[in-house]
Amino acid sequence: MSEKTVALFVSCLVDQISPEIGVATVRLLRRAGCQVDFPDAQTCCGQPFFNSGLRNQARDLARRTIEIFEPYDAVVLPSGSCSSMVAAEYVHLFEDDPDWEARAEALGAKTFELSRFLVRQGWAPPGSDAAPTVTYHDSCHANRLLGLGGEARQLLESAGCRVVEMVESDRCCGFGGLFSIKMPEVANAMTREKLRQAVDIEVDVLVSIDPGCLMQMEGLVDPDGPRVRHLACLLEELG
Amino acid sequence: MSASISQFRSQADSAINDLPLQEAIDTATGNFWRGREGALEELPDSEGLRDHFKAIRSATLAQLDEHLESFESNAKAAGTHVHWAEDAAEACRIVIDIGKTRGVTLATKGKSMASEEIHLGVALEEAGIESVETDLGEWIIQLAGDPPFHIIAPAIHKRRDEIVTLIENASGESLQSAEIEDLVAASRRLLRSRFLSAGMGITGGNILVSETGSLVLVENEGNGRFVSASPPVHIALVGLEKVVPTWDDAAVWLQLLARSSTGQPLSVYTNVVTGPRKVDDEDGPEEVHIILLDNGRSQLLGGKYEEILQCIRCGACLNICPVYREVGGHTYRSPYSGPIGAVITPLLMGLEEYPALPQASSLCGACRDVCPARIDLPRMLVELRNDEVEQGLVPWSVRRAEEAAAWMLMDVDRYRRLTGLMRTAQLPVLKDGDLRMPSFLDPSKGRKLKGLAPRPFREIWQSELEGGDG
Amino acid sequence: MGDREAILERLRGASRPAERLSPWLTRRTFENPVDRFCECLTNLKGDVRRAESAEAAWTIVDNLLDEMDAHSVVINQEPPVDGMDTVARWPERTCYVVGESEGDLKAFCADCDVGLTGVSAALVETGSLIVESGEGRSRLATLLPPVHIAMVRVSRLTTDLFTWTAGRGDHIPTNVTVISGPSKTADIEFTLTLGAHGPKRLIAVVYEDGEMDS
Repeated sequence: MSEKTVALFVSCLVDQISPEIGVATVRLLRRAGCQVDFPDAQTCCGQPFFNSGLRNQARDLARRTIEIFEPYDAVVLPSGSCSSMVAAEYVHLFEDDPDWEARAEALGAKTFELSRFLVRQGWAPPGSDAAPTVTYHDSCHANRLLGLGGEARQLLESAGCRVVEMVESDRCCGFGGLFSIKMPEVANAMTREKLRQAVDIEVDVLVSIDPGCLMQMEGLVDPDGPRVRHLACLLEELG
Repeated sequence: MSASISQFRSQADSAINDLPLQEAIDTATGNFWRGREGALEELPDSEGLRDHFKAIRSATLAQLDEHLESFESNAKAAGTHVHWAEDAAEACRIVIDIGKTRGVTLATKGKSMASEEIHLGVALEEAGIESVETDLGEWIIQLAGDPPFHIIAPAIHKRRDEIVTLIENASGESLQSAEIEDLVAASRRLLRSRFLSAGMGITGGNILVSETGSLVLVENEGNGRFVSASPPVHIALVGLEKVVPTWDDAAVWLQLLARSSTGQPLSVYTNVVTGPRKVDDEDGPEEVHIILLDNGRSQLLGGKYEEILQCIRCGACLNICPVYREVGGHTYRSPYSGPIGAVITPLLMGLEEYPALPQASSLCGACRDVCPARIDLPRMLVELRNDEVEQGLVPWSVRRAEEAAAWMLMDVDRYRRLTGLMRTAQLPVLKDGDLRMPSFLDPSKGRKLKGLAPRPFREIWQSELEGGDG
Repeated sequence: MGDREAILERLRGASRPAERLSPWLTRRTFENPVDRFCECLTNLKGDVRRAESAEAAWTIVDNLLDEMDAHSVVINQEPPVDGMDTVARWPERTCYVVGESEGDLKAFCADCDVGLTGVSAALVETGSLIVESGEGRSRLATLLPPVHIAMVRVSRLTTDLFTWTAGRGDHIPTNVTVISGPSKTADIEFTLTLGAHGPKRLIAVVYEDGEMDS
């Protein structure tokens, strides 16, 4: 494995609310042989504003993000949803602006969600005897916009986890960004259904690659139910 | 009707807490989406078929004027009367005029979402024409005075005992047993005399075939055939986007419709009507009228919402939608519910009346995955949210809060300073890392909300990770 | 005509060049189409009876009518059920031969026990029967009676909707109905129930007729 410098884009959620995910990500990237840089000017990819219909604000944040990250060879995010914003949605924000559209496309091409990046690097975690039985939540944007899901399962299995599938691994957890605040009754009902499916298959851990989904599910998980963990944190914990 | 955020939320909350209703929704949607999956897997190259269907729908809409004019002239040649209705009022007026001219006092109806859209039942009643729904589900909700709960299964919210009471009240007979088979038999018996004595039959239409001026009606019970074949007059009310150029195109549509909808290979009856009965025909209506309903559709053509006109009302998006599966159909307060309803309702009936609907989605994208025409519903939900912002339909406080957040995020020093202030400000309500608010202030309604971490990642990076092996 | 012009004007405003598409061709080939057809119709709750010859097929019909004690039968005048001497064959039953018999067709259909018809085509992929309107062919005969018996000669089988539309001639009957199983509903508590408003029993008597029809 050649040593490679990657820019870490942690996402605002990880920066402010779940920094342990960022820490685990740095450690995994280093174990995979990467030099990690954290561009300090980074804030938010703009997805919440894009989803709320505040297109101008989303565009401003996208331009800002592009400027910060475009000097790097690769950008890694421990969030499927933010990765999809950068890699799949940015180009749509600049459909009437060819210059920015090209820059968005270029950044999109070198932006990777963590699990995909690790697998593409050829890295695999060593098997652990302590590995729990897990299930994987196919978070919506990661799964539908980026086709992610296989990578995380591969890493989990390599770490020695038994991966058991929920009836609908790809059913939305109810987060949806600000949706979870604008329509909390509906979001919570969706989350309870998701958690019910995880409880039904009696796993130790419910794994996701999305800090938003994790926050949503952690907010309602039963203390006796499965633990809800980010892939990076679980892999890092297994060593 | 209208749906504000607060109306949607409170109606959703009641639906979510109604356990028998939840079970009914799960049964129906679960059977439908599993059926769909199996029915498409069974086809060779279903993905290619969907791509081809999308191409048919796009190409037809690009020249909708020509296809409709050619439909009109071929339908007229077959003896069909073709009417164009600008809006709901005009469509209702046309139906009532035909009824009055023929002295009709009783009309039987086949299931039609377009008729729900224009509230035809109410208009007929006011005009003194009795109209009887004949699809069992539609009949049940007509008796109950309910709007449809699901595009293709309108009465899934009704329990058997409620249905027994409704049918007993309607017929004046007491039903010996409440077995479902007996209820179906009772509806067959009770509706048959209405079928045979109706002066006109009113249906919707699934497809219009331009090359022969034909109308395609798809159903399972036989009521649609009855309504279109038995009375002397048949009126079909069809959205003007439902046209295809050729029978080959119609075959692609049919190959996907029932499979996407209920998981059947084809519905029990695919009924193709080309004009009134001819000299040689043994039965069938003397007059056939097709009403091409605009009601806002033509305004969408050529714009950013044109793609929604590719919808064939199969209901696949409802069955897979994690929001619909919790809140059910009535919460949308429109005949069209689920993801398609959340887009088409504001477009046809006014965004200012239905501001909640584009917000009623986590944008998960499951609807786009299952749509036979691959309509990008999430994209249009985001477009509608954008329109809400531009038209000032977003509550002032929400708009200001979001704009302030974006302003903070545009500058990293500002972001650092303000998140630092929030870290201090949250301390009075922070307990074990979670924000504990009095319930009336709780924005997440019982879900634990994490507070900001003691230190943001960027500080940890600087002090412990940067340059080292941390 | 005001609405028509106003609508068309808007449609014309949005009109633009479009892709010309070639028809979708079937992707299906069935090694044993008759088996597939029978299996599919059975899955749709249809009642399929197979016979080696026309004669054997008619014996099956005789037995079916006896079994269900059918007093009255409406018969469409179409191959292969046309030109029958119904009085000689079923002296004990009242038969209404469409296009021939006197009396109110609709009333007869509404009260009789069985509708007996041929089919203009049948779809192998889905187990569907296709019936058409026209001289001697009542559409109510396949809808109103509680039982529909269709005589299906294997030469009438075609692969699927695509081969059927491709082979369709220029003549368009006023009514064409593709029937895929008996009438059914699941509108009450999602419980499948047969015989909503159409036939509760759909019986297809499938037989070899020696005719070859590509």
